[in-house]
Amino acid sequence: LRDELVRAVGPDAVLADPDRLLVYESDGLTRYRRRPLAVVLPSDTAACARVVALLHGAGIAVVPRGAGTGLSGGAVAAPDTVVLGTARMNRILELDVDARRARVGAGVVNAALGEAAREHGLIYLPDPSSQTACTLGGNIAENSGGPHCLKYGVTSRYVTGLTVVGSGGTVFELAERGGRGLDLVGLFVGSEGCFGLATEIEVALAPAPAEVRTLLAAFPEIEEAGSAVTAILADGLVPAALEIVDAATIRAVEASVYAAGYPTDAGAALVVEFDGPGPGLDDELARAATLCRAAGATEIRLAADAEQRAALWAGRKKAFGAMGRLAPDLMVQDATVPRSRLPEVLRAVGRIAARHGLGVANVFHAGDGNLHPNLLFDRRDPDQVARVERASREIMEACVAAGGTITGEHGVGLDKREYMRLVHGPAELATMSAVRGVFDPRGGFNPGKVLPDEAAVAERTAARGAPRVREARLAPAERVAELGVEVDMRPDGVAVARPGSAEQVALVVADACREGWRVRVSAGDGGDRAADLVISTRGLRGIEAYEPADLTVTVAAGTPMAELARHLGAAGLWLPIDGPGVGDASVGGVVASAGARALATAYGAVRDQVLGLTLVTGDGRVLELGGAVVKNVAGFDLVRLIVGSRGALGVVTRVTLRTHPRFRCERYLSVSAPRPEALLPAVDGVLGAPLLPASIELAGGPDGAELLVRVVGSEVQVAHAEQVLTARMGPSVRGLEPEAGALRQRVLRAAAGAGARVLHARPSASGVEDLLARLRSAAAAAATGAPRFWALPDQGVAWVAGQGGRSGLDPERSPAQEAVFDAAPGAAPGAGVASDGAPDAAVQALEAGLHAVFDPFGVLGGVAEQGDRP
Amino acid sequence: MTVPDALASLAGALAAEEESLLACVHCGFCLPACPTYVRLGDEADSPRGRLYLMRAVVEGRLSPDSPALHTHLDRCLGCRACEPVCPSGVPYGHLLERGRAVVRSHRSPPGSVRLLLAVLARPLVARAAWALARWARATRLPALAARVLPRRWGVSAAMLASSAPARLPVRGGSVGSAARRGGPAPDDAPPERGRVAMLRGCVQEGLFGRVNRATERTLGVNGYQVVPVSGQGCCGALHAHAGDLEGARALARRNVAAFGASSVDFVCVNAAGCGVAMREYGELLAGDPSEPQAREVAARVRDVSHLLAEAGPRPGAVVEARVAWDPPCHLLHAQGEDRAPLQVLDAIPGLARRPLFRASECCGGAGLYGLTHAELGGHIGDDKVGAIRASGADVVVTANPGCHMQIGGTLLLGGGGPSVVHLVELLDESYRRAGLVPDPPKRGRDRG
Repeated sequence: LRDELVRAVGPDAVLADPDRLLVYESDGLTRYRRRPLAVVLPSDTAACARVVALLHGAGIAVVPRGAGTGLSGGAVAAPDTVVLGTARMNRILELDVDARRARVGAGVVNAALGEAAREHGLIYLPDPSSQTACTLGGNIAENSGGPHCLKYGVTSRYVTGLTVVGSGGTVFELAERGGRGLDLVGLFVGSEGCFGLATEIEVALAPAPAEVRTLLAAFPEIEEAGSAVTAILADGLVPAALEIVDAATIRAVEASVYAAGYPTDAGAALVVEFDGPGPGLDDELARAATLCRAAGATEIRLAADAEQRAALWAGRKKAFGAMGRLAPDLMVQDATVPRSRLPEVLRAVGRIAARHGLGVANVFHAGDGNLHPNLLFDRRDPDQVARVERASREIMEACVAAGGTITGEHGVGLDKREYMRLVHGPAELATMSAVRGVFDPRGGFNPGKVLPDEAAVAERTAARGAPRVREARLAPAERVAELGVEVDMRPDGVAVARPGSAEQVALVVADACREGWRVRVSAGDGGDRAADLVISTRGLRGIEAYEPADLTVTVAAGTPMAELARHLGAAGLWLPIDGPGVGDASVGGVVASAGARALATAYGAVRDQVLGLTLVTGDGRVLELGGAVVKNVAGFDLVRLIVGSRGALGVVTRVTLRTHPRFRCERYLSVSAPRPEALLPAVDGVLGAPLLPASIELAGGPDGAELLVRVVGSEVQVAHAEQVLTARMGPSVRGLEPEAGALRQRVLRAAAGAGARVLHARPSASGVEDLLARLRSAAAAAATGAPRFWALPDQGVAWVAGQGGRSGLDPERSPAQEAVFDAAPGAAPGAGVASDGAPDAAVQALEAGLHAVFDPFGVLGGVAEQGDRP
Repeated sequence: MTVPDALASLAGALAAEEESLLACVHCGFCLPACPTYVRLGDEADSPRGRLYLMRAVVEGRLSPDSPALHTHLDRCLGCRACEPVCPSGVPYGHLLERGRAVVRSHRSPPGSVRLLLAVLARPLVARAAWALARWARATRLPALAARVLPRRWGVSAAMLASSAPARLPVRGGSVGSAARRGGPAPDDAPPERGRVAMLRGCVQEGLFGRVNRATERTLGVNGYQVVPVSGQGCCGALHAHAGDLEGARALARRNVAAFGASSVDFVCVNAAGCGVAMREYGELLAGDPSEPQAREVAARVRDVSHLLAEAGPRPGAVVEARVAWDPPCHLLHAQGEDRAPLQVLDAIPGLARRPLFRASECCGGAGLYGLTHAELGGHIGDDKVGAIRASGADVVVTANPGCHMQIGGTLLLGGGGPSVVHLVELLDESYRRAGLVPDPPKRGRDRG
């Protein structure tokens, strides 16, 4: 086999000398060690595929490894496995400045991509602390966070496409397909190398913030630093980062080459950073400083220049390494708790460490509630190792008891497999195991990671029986009524069940399985959709858990979005989800369709706002997925799989969302022209602006075209943005007050109603030009007037009103409003999608497999929609 | 001593360093800073990997005569780019030398390396060898050989040829014109800055004597009194890097005695690699009777750029040139002198500094790396020279003879290009044009 590997990738890419392999026996967490059989270092996707094919053919599993900086043992070999290193796939393959996209090899270092982007005024936002060393491939595997994900979100928000070497060496492309099919990119990110090996990665870049302000506040006690964080967020400020380091960490950092002048006599230091266009930043900084002082800060220091700021950040980001000075070994822990629970959890951590006689140093992403207690020990002393193990478990238990989770950004790997049971029940674990089996049926990728005790899980999954069809068939309405669930009849005689809880939904679905009914889920009565039974979520209504200070809310799926918005608004909060029809939709409908993306570039898509949900699967299992904390990588990301799956994988009954402090001011800018082509310079100007508007909408029809841009923020920020954008949108631009702007918005969005067809292009002005050209030629072919359309130029997507084929765009291929997706030439997000919009066979097989996991009896019909609006 | 005993004692030598080895928490931040890891992608060729191998020897999990240990420690450039990025402060350079000593006591380095180290350790032999080398260089045959021989054989010839004095730009001022240009008058006496002894070095005095003279002159212009110190010799850096710690200690003792006896304020070194070695004499001679004096001497060692920067330095006359500064690793990473050299360049009016891509990365010279790892060293050198050509500079400035010859030699093999000069050569030229230093006697090629 070794000879075959050598033939496949060359002799210098196959390492098999056991002495040399010693260095691969552990990753950043040295507690776990095992030497692989060999290490293979392929240079590209094809070589990687050859290696995986050979190894899987020989029944040998593959363990992917990037730079080996992970802190959960995820890149440590399992028994009799071969490590596949991505270090030689380290080229930036493409950097599309206009479309703000980059395509890179998996071995490209995070900071190297950032450096390349910066040359063009762009930035790759996720910034894990190890960014100078860790690879994008590793970031994908772990769904890495970082200090700035407080404002910008985690890795998954920025991944738009992946080239994956899957089981047996098959190569397939996963791409964002704008709501069609399942979100396999979202599911793959964070899969810790268990689903396959991503060899090429496409990510979204953003305009680099024009200016940055950073302050350091010293506090006598860590609790005071924590309350300053609460005060800052409650004030509606939106810092880019909020980081706390404790006294022990400060001392370690100050003794290192990264000494940044952190006050060594302080009990804790808080780093607050704001970024964005210059105007307004100083005000925000001053307000944050005032709030820090009010919370008890003894010293406040502003970073005077980029160099001082870099020093402050180096001190924070290299803290883990610097702790090498405190003890020979380090157990870096990682957990997330609701932010308001941080102080009590920190006290608990201190007590636990003291009880086990261990030193502890804390650094944490305070804004996210993501804490990193570092336990100091010496692995040469078995007793200390045992105490570290006990203390780690107790810390995890304390975090989970406080409503948190076992890992926020480091992953489960080997280290936290057993803790998975603290946050997931047997049904959830079994589902994760089954999903893994869809990608990796032979257990050929990173075996023994993430899931506890997999053999037993698999057994349970297999034991699930086939449906039992009863002899005497009752009509759905009678049967559902028998279950004690409220039921109505639609005028056309279809029964509409209105369960009041997830358990009732499960009862109904389980019966549907036995009876073989076709079920549709809807916030209303399902309209005229063909079904034996409609499950309406109207009975699932209300706010279930709401902690404004944690910036999270849990709400029943049938709750109208408008009702939720009112609730949040009362506490000065906001949910950045917007799109055609969102105001009339239910929360579950918005989550199921994931089509509301007007704010996606600036705030993330729907999937980035959903932290957790309750799902009733097509065979009646009730699954609690995700959680109620803003960072969570405990297991595979089934939440992202469900978001946008249009009810085809189950009924969403409850959703936990991430909320944001509401902006203080907003304004719309509008420019009109007789033809949309005349607005291209304005579109180009807005897309190239060094700031991100909340939304950019372009619409057109027989009566003219309009570009409508919405900006939000503080008064100063909005005024500045208006000034910058006005200069870029041309002389006829006019500003609109919020009410007038919102009205224009509703008018423009009419084109995206039912029956609309979707077109994709590069998210750039030239992409919009291409979209318009395609609209023109289609209209000419059908001899119709200018088609009515609504587009999001920043995302390269347009909706074209259907009107029974009069648009000339072949309505036959548009079964519902989700329509057909074009892979326009050069359209970045369409890569890997066949020209008819269908994914390749490998991806279709994956989707079919996932449908079988969640809806084994096809009760939900493969495609359905929950909610009547996008 | 039996073989197992010998191995045990070798492991023991590293075991004394266990605490330093344990400081590495395996975070991996050093990986992208390491030129060999970046090019080879093998973690065994990264600082973390090498430390891990050494730790495995200490833990008894790896035999000190393991070929893997030998290969990967040997493949390290010793550029120490990993040290400034290490949050734990692992003394990598120190550990590498100890690790190499363990390897070396079991496996000898190549004959060419042993021969060179032996020559350097013997002043009389060395002096004859340098004279021979300068004679050969003057024949211009090496330059020719570099052009016609295959690269494998042409490298050494190219390096020797590249040590010859470079053409400096002729634009800018003319001799003695400073007064007319309003520059500083030559007879303005600078403030006294102290007595300085200079390490003449081996290669530096042998092939780059002109740099030593320029160092003396520029220090003088800036108020330092340069006093001669006899009895000094090779600093032993190359011996230590190759794991010949005993050889290095013998040379260090000689220099400690020579410089320790002088009552100077500073020991000035103009070769970055030698500067680091001398600053680490205390650790090298730990436990030796000369240790206290070694520490005392080491504490007085300064790079020439540091001393000049401390003094301002005094500005000279215009030298119009586009220059790229390529900081020697042992100046930037091991001595942390990031600003001083730039301050020296800033004292020369008319220079246009060109940014150099990956300037802080090793040029692949790395002492005797060209002899031991011709292919990889050549590859790294090609990358450096590619960046230099892309920078558009017509003069490359460095501050270490190894880098000078690696860059110059690689340029020569690639058909010539920018000239290579030592930092103080350029400053000296500026002073000469300003009339601050006398016009040197006609530059004899024989003295370099």
